[in-house]
Amino acid sequence: MNDTTPLAPPWRGALSASYARGRAFVWFLLKNILPLYLATEVLKASGALGYISGFLAPVMNWWGLPPEAAAVLTAGMLVNLYAAAAVAAPLGLTSAQVSVLGLILGIAHSLVVEGVVVRELSSRWRALTFLRLGLGLGAGWALARVLGGAAS
Amino acid sequence: MSHWIDLLAGALGQGLLLCLEITLIVWPLMIGYELAKAYGIFERPWPGVGPLLARLGLSPGALVPLLAGLFLGLLYGAAILLAMSREQGLSARERLALGVFLVTCHAVVEDTAIFALLGGSSFWMLAPRVVLAVALTAWLARRPQASARAGSAGPR
Repeated sequence: MNDTTPLAPPWRGALSASYARGRAFVWFLLKNILPLYLATEVLKASGALGYISGFLAPVMNWWGLPPEAAAVLTAGMLVNLYAAAAVAAPLGLTSAQVSVLGLILGIAHSLVVEGVVVRELSSRWRALTFLRLGLGLGAGWALARVLGGAAS
Repeated sequence: MSHWIDLLAGALGQGLLLCLEITLIVWPLMIGYELAKAYGIFERPWPGVGPLLARLGLSPGALVPLLAGLFLGLLYGAAILLAMSREQGLSARERLALGVFLVTCHAVVEDTAIFALLGGSSFWMLAPRVVLAVALTAWLARRPQASARAGSAGPR
């Protein structure tokens, strides 16, 4: 830290640093969420989302989720949770379904980018990434049973 | 045609609202973190956590990287996480323990808040992650042969 004004109170630097980070974060959100939100709305209204995800219905049913939720899982695992939220918001999911998605994705999200960080941390990053996938899907399956959202 | 324009305008408004809501949650977190950092909270030794960390197979030096990942997330916490785990000279086994804990459970406030905004239950999205992370890490710490395998050198 190269502090040129040693007499300035610490909170001042903290506030300006968080202002800069916050502003960058808002741009990040607008660039990531708006396009995905619009795309999901269009795909849903045109019936394309239902058509594409139709064949996933039996699989998604294990988690008590509608087939369209496959798009939420894909966005969350490959991109990030903000992308997943942008895709999930227009789908009209129940609270239990959002909780199941939130738990699966809370454990297993941004697998590519975060995989880079994990790789720096531990040499067993591949095992750790598979652990996240397995734990996330397993915990989500169990939660669907607990919350009674599953059809079976 | 006008039906599509209505749809897009509505989606744009909803999308902006979602951005605003997320900002209102995450920005205060960033301010809190920067303030905590400015006042040296992360450099101070915390009393009483040593034994707790030991049960997870971690040394006291792993506390700051653990907190950084837990509250900031792997991405935003990466700078502290990686720098500190090197500075504190954590062993390969400790880094694996840290990895197991953090991949299961990180950015707990932010991740939970995003889906709570959409109507999810904060308890059910957070509690299982914490329980799984603690249980898995504690289990790993008790496995003697895990140390030999984790000790193999990685691509670093």
